[in-house]
Amino acid sequence: MAIYVLRKLVFFLGAIFIASVAIFLLIRGAGGNVAAVVLGKGATPEAIDALAHSYGLDRPLFVQYFDWIANMLSGDLGRSFRTNESVADLVTARLSVSIPLALSGLILGLIIAIPVGTYAARNVGTPSGAILALVSQVGVAVPVFWAGILLSLLFGVRLGWLPTGGWTDWSVSPWGAIRSLVLPVLSLGLIMAAVLIRYVRSAVLDVMNQDYLRTARAVGMTRTEALLKVGLRNASLPLVTIVGLQIAELIGGTVIIETVFSLPGLSRMMLANVAAREVIVVQSTVMLIIIFVIGVNLLVDLLYGILDPRVRSSR
Amino acid sequence: MQGTRNSITKRLGLLTAAATLFAGALGGLATTAEAASPRAAENKMILVARQDPGTLDFVKSNLTAMRLWIPANIVEPLVYFNKDGSVEPGVAESWTISDDKLTYTFKIRDTTFSNGAPVTAEDVLYSLNTMKASPVVDYAAAYEAVTAIEKVDDHTVKVTLSRPSQNFWRGMGAISGLIQPEANAANIATNPIGTGPYKLANYTTNSAFEFTANPTYWGKKPAVENVTVRIVTDGTAGLNALEAGEVDSLPVITIDLWEQLSKRGLDKKYTLVTYPQVGEPTYAVLNQKLDKELRETIARTLDRQSYNDAFGAAWGAENTCTFALPNQVWYSPENAETCPFPYDMEGAMATIAEKGYASTPLEYASLSDVPDLSLPADIMVPAMQGAGFNVNRNAIDLARYSQLIFQGRPPQFDVTIMSGDANPVQWACPDPTKAGWSTYCSADYTKALADADVALTDEAYTAEMKKAADILRKDAVIIPLIAKKGVGLFNPDLKGFEEPRVNVAIELNKLHW
Repeated sequence: MAIYVLRKLVFFLGAIFIASVAIFLLIRGAGGNVAAVVLGKGATPEAIDALAHSYGLDRPLFVQYFDWIANMLSGDLGRSFRTNESVADLVTARLSVSIPLALSGLILGLIIAIPVGTYAARNVGTPSGAILALVSQVGVAVPVFWAGILLSLLFGVRLGWLPTGGWTDWSVSPWGAIRSLVLPVLSLGLIMAAVLIRYVRSAVLDVMNQDYLRTARAVGMTRTEALLKVGLRNASLPLVTIVGLQIAELIGGTVIIETVFSLPGLSRMMLANVAAREVIVVQSTVMLIIIFVIGVNLLVDLLYGILDPRVRSSR
Repeated sequence: MQGTRNSITKRLGLLTAAATLFAGALGGLATTAEAASPRAAENKMILVARQDPGTLDFVKSNLTAMRLWIPANIVEPLVYFNKDGSVEPGVAESWTISDDKLTYTFKIRDTTFSNGAPVTAEDVLYSLNTMKASPVVDYAAAYEAVTAIEKVDDHTVKVTLSRPSQNFWRGMGAISGLIQPEANAANIATNPIGTGPYKLANYTTNSAFEFTANPTYWGKKPAVENVTVRIVTDGTAGLNALEAGEVDSLPVITIDLWEQLSKRGLDKKYTLVTYPQVGEPTYAVLNQKLDKELRETIARTLDRQSYNDAFGAAWGAENTCTFALPNQVWYSPENAETCPFPYDMEGAMATIAEKGYASTPLEYASLSDVPDLSLPADIMVPAMQGAGFNVNRNAIDLARYSQLIFQGRPPQFDVTIMSGDANPVQWACPDPTKAGWSTYCSADYTKALADADVALTDEAYTAEMKKAADILRKDAVIIPLIAKKGVGLFNPDLKGFEEPRVNVAIELNKLHW
């Protein structure tokens, strides 16, 4: 197990290094700079160059890269060129929106998907099973922003039960913050549930056909008991994988949802900073997200090792 | 220039519009938003902004998203220019102008900034010198003739010019004349301070501005004590919020929403205002290196009405061949006298065939993430291709566009489309080797502007500006299409909107329930 963990850790660090180089090159390769965006079309090249110089953007690329990495390693994520705000502060402020949004969306997705997916698997071939499979298939095809817009129109504009968008900070009104999150979380959770239902259904179907489940039934367990006591552990393996992948997908999903509902979350901040070519803000924020996503994958791998001894012994 | 908008927002805007119509078809969306706003009783209002400026540093930034909210509300200029041309006190309570128009003496008001610090002559010196050195050329241009900015006493500042300058005087009522405390220089990007009727209580990027009435304001106390400007980048979401009664106004409705606004009947349910100040001319830019007759031929393929029709709101824009907005005295709507190259597709096709212009490859640079500009490009490129031009469209985002076009020397385009400030001085070009991003450089045009600047009377100024406008349109490099107006939608109970006096700034203290 120790070798397995060590191998995964080396991969984790290597992936982070490669990602840091890729992020740096991609944002620089996208062209444009923050000075030109801020000054607009009326600025002379001299004025743009002077402002870019004051931001340190005219230094050699490798100097900028190592400067950034060295600062990151010392815990300094850098500062915004335009406002001189600390990136760490910028990110922290937005996590109070993004974490509840993403986490609640995921939990809602799982709460719906596990029982519904299991039910669909147990009733495969019946009308109810077919309907559930069809509904989840349609759900997969619905873009998350479309769901968000329709929910906003129904519950916000038409019924007036919930805000159509906008954000009330937790410090101003926790209830207001929760109300701001209901529709975005519903949008994310429902679409995620549709995706997960299909995976849960497949995993449970697969387990139901395994010999060990038949053996469990043979020793006197009911179908439900066999599924819960024997099947669940085995079905959880592919589910853990897909949940790991969905967490990465959540970041993309929240960009759209934060835009549709005008939430000041991390994804939207990053998008705005990409457009403005705030390179340090983008680099550091993306790096944090990548560390998080690769970290989740590492966790998934380690969970695999724990759940299935065959995995940790394999090369 | 339009603020930065990303392509996701653009696509979402189109799709949300579709969703609105879809939902409307399913069950109708009739709401009762005409009811009085719940904010009225609380002495509050919530407005919607479409863009997040990212920075509030008005010295370095010329983004519309910043200029809409900070000047006049938070930071005031020395003077205010009214719509009728009269001038009112601002931070300067009075002023004298020498007969030769070379010396301006400003008496500074005995007041405080919103943080309680007194406004001093030193603060005015600092502010004017800072704007004089601004990297934003439009702001610094007001100071071209300024030779000295001096303190006379604790409340008097004297500015000396080398020649009369209309640009200087008008600039003192615009962003170039904004007065800020030097002590707050480090915080200007997130929390600018001034003498205005409001102070900024909080600014959260991509979320909201929170304004509260400035208790030390020298003028009449604002009628609405607390103002929130919610940043809603998706336009349809903004309109939905208005219909749901969550917000009280969208004072600036961008062109991509005009059609939706009419189709949803919002222009009838709410108070619709149109005003030129926050408007922008939309104009084609042809690289001056292209043959003049070729440029004229391109100009003849531009059917102004089709651009106007595309935005689906006849009240939102006027067709024009003049680089100006309707509130500028040299403005003229499209007519036979002021359009040297009127729409004439057949004539253009004949010229293209005769001159062999189809063999000239043309690079059309278009902004992919600004709906106001990608839509006109969608019309212009096929029209040019239909006429016989060999046009390749290069759709790029704002940052890349800034690099290729604004920074590029020479700029990498043959044809592009832009909208932005109706400031004709931006096309002045004293040195042909330093032609700006537009590539346009004309000694005659520059001289006409210079003559206008030194004009001693308003009449002489207007005459020279008209002359400059005529030179510009005949050169067929900057080709105006439509003059977009500022368009705003207000809760019917929210009254008092007045047209902006300081650049495009929406003056919040004029609004009341």
